[in-house]
Amino acid sequence: MFKARLFRNASFRLAALYAILFAISASLLFGIIYWIASKALLQQTHDALARESSALADDFQSGGMDELVRSIAERLTAPELPPTYALLLDASGRKLAGNLDRKDKILGFIRLPRPPRAGREADHDEDNEHEVIAFGRELPEGAYLLVGEDGDRIDEAKEAILRAFGWGMATVLVLSVGGGILISIGFLKRIDAINRTTRAIMAGNLEDRVPTQATNDELDQLAANLNAMLDRIQVLMDSLRQVSSDIAHDLRMPLARLRQRLEGGKLRSMSEPEYQHILDAAIEDTDNILSIFSALLGITQIESGTRRKAFIPVDLAEILTTLAETYGAVAEDRGQTIVTKIPPGATVRGDRALLTQMFANLLENAIRHCPEGTQITLYVSRKCDFVLASVSDNGPGIPKEEWTNVFKRFYRLDRSRSTSGSGLGLALVKAVADLHGATLELSEAKPGLQVCLKFPVSREGCKAIDHAT
Amino acid sequence: MKILLIEDDAETAAYVANGLREQGHVVDHAAEGRDGLFLATESPYDVMIVDRMLPGLDGLTLVKTVRGTGVKTPILFLTTCSGIEERVEGLEAGGDDYLIKPFAFSELVARVQALSRRPPLAEVTTQLKVADLELDLLARTAARAGRDLDLKPLEFKLLEYLVRNTNRVVTRTMLLEKVWEFHFDPQTNVVETNISRLRAKVDRGFGCDLIHTVRGAGYMLHVQS
Repeated sequence: MFKARLFRNASFRLAALYAILFAISASLLFGIIYWIASKALLQQTHDALARESSALADDFQSGGMDELVRSIAERLTAPELPPTYALLLDASGRKLAGNLDRKDKILGFIRLPRPPRAGREADHDEDNEHEVIAFGRELPEGAYLLVGEDGDRIDEAKEAILRAFGWGMATVLVLSVGGGILISIGFLKRIDAINRTTRAIMAGNLEDRVPTQATNDELDQLAANLNAMLDRIQVLMDSLRQVSSDIAHDLRMPLARLRQRLEGGKLRSMSEPEYQHILDAAIEDTDNILSIFSALLGITQIESGTRRKAFIPVDLAEILTTLAETYGAVAEDRGQTIVTKIPPGATVRGDRALLTQMFANLLENAIRHCPEGTQITLYVSRKCDFVLASVSDNGPGIPKEEWTNVFKRFYRLDRSRSTSGSGLGLALVKAVADLHGATLELSEAKPGLQVCLKFPVSREGCKAIDHAT
Repeated sequence: MKILLIEDDAETAAYVANGLREQGHVVDHAAEGRDGLFLATESPYDVMIVDRMLPGLDGLTLVKTVRGTGVKTPILFLTTCSGIEERVEGLEAGGDDYLIKPFAFSELVARVQALSRRPPLAEVTTQLKVADLELDLLARTAARAGRDLDLKPLEFKLLEYLVRNTNRVVTRTMLLEKVWEFHFDPQTNVVETNISRLRAKVDRGFGCDLIHTVRGAGYMLHVQS
């Protein structure tokens, strides 16, 4: 499997391609060197033969035929010289000296088959292949001199060049293929690590992450991006899991209560009005469950952000004034007061219905969870590049460590468990604030709690406001 | 009243149709969009109740088509979508009111009643009068038996809505939507409290009560003879 993949992978193929290209160019280079070297060697041999031939001709000039014959015999037996060939014919074609047998008198350079030599029978085949390079010339009085040298020397040199070339090529190929394999294995190992991680995640192990090295190369960047993506997915999955388990948990209770009520009604024999009472209570329970569902759906819809496209200018001052008037009587009945600090004109872009619901939730929260005598303050103010709105009370407040928790779905403070409510009101507040890009902050009102919302608005008209304040 | 119900869910349809028939209405039912469109354009009805999600032809297109043929019958949309977007879409297509499933039957009846006796849209009035109660819609003031009532703006709006629906039940949800423009369910008894404040101003010390509570349904402004 791994082997098959090795040859398919990109870096190995690249390495192999480079190896082939290098081999071709090296072959060309070696070919040229080989050709030039062969020519040079042949030239060298020719020069040497011509020199030898002239030297022998000189011997003939100075010492006559006898001297020449002796000189030839001397050269042929000299052990330190390479195997040399010679032939001396007189004018009638009779052989006077030498170790070649030929009758014709060819002048210039010729190639002859190598004659068999004593003690070299075993090399018979090889001898047939080799040639003698010879140089023939005429001497005065019609004599003919042929001197030759074994072609072996050239062949050996050529062979040496070829051998060097062969070894060189072999080394290059081994290095490039081996290097390619090594690089590819490294590459494949990292790809495998990524594949292993993705498979592990698909198998359900969401905490797994792609290992990264400190190299910060492309693969590392890819791994880092994959990990960032996985982190995001995990956060989403966790929140989804949280919501699902919250729903399951928080709907069980009211459903169980409903069932109990219905079962209780079935077990005891009761009067008509009693049954009526149980049915009314059951309908109320069902309505509560349904309202939890629609609140959840609402939050989900708000979080999807599609409402943003229908944003229009909304005057928060107007919304808060209306709310103060609407809830004034409710607060009064509970011995609480609503105070407003609302100068006109605090317009933000938003969804009127959602903003109304958000502030109503905050106001109702204050009314429901604060004791008699509490003063609730609604405040809004246009600053330079933001609109600040707040709902604060001088009630008991909530512990600081709970501040981040209260905006979670279904989260309820221990002391509010006894009062009715779904635990979704503040989650909706958070969702609406997020939809409007508003920052939501809790702070100590000393005593009590202040919920502050900061809506970003354009800086248009900044100066006028600065001057006014 | 002759009512056309276009609803594909058999159980909801039976529940609504039987309930309305028990109240003495004549109900025609279509379970599919195209059948509904045929009935809606063929014969006159007093009110149509149209589900938004229908097989064949969806409710929104159906209502647009019906309105396109010049039918002015009041239309109540039924829907499971609770988003404001859907509500606005429904009203823009030509629907007159909107009810989110699941709903209480009393809520449906109240809304059908309110739709069926809607005054023609063109009618412009500056004054409303019920018994000895008078509302000046321009000055936004109210008086009973010639005595001015000191009403806050929202209290006036609430009273105006009740007066406009004299002798008809208005539910808590209807008041929240039409008077306060609240499209959510408040966690406090804001409607009850404000009604009781209004009652204190409108009815206390005038001998006969105008604002009545209808148990299990809502409120009604009516004059006892």
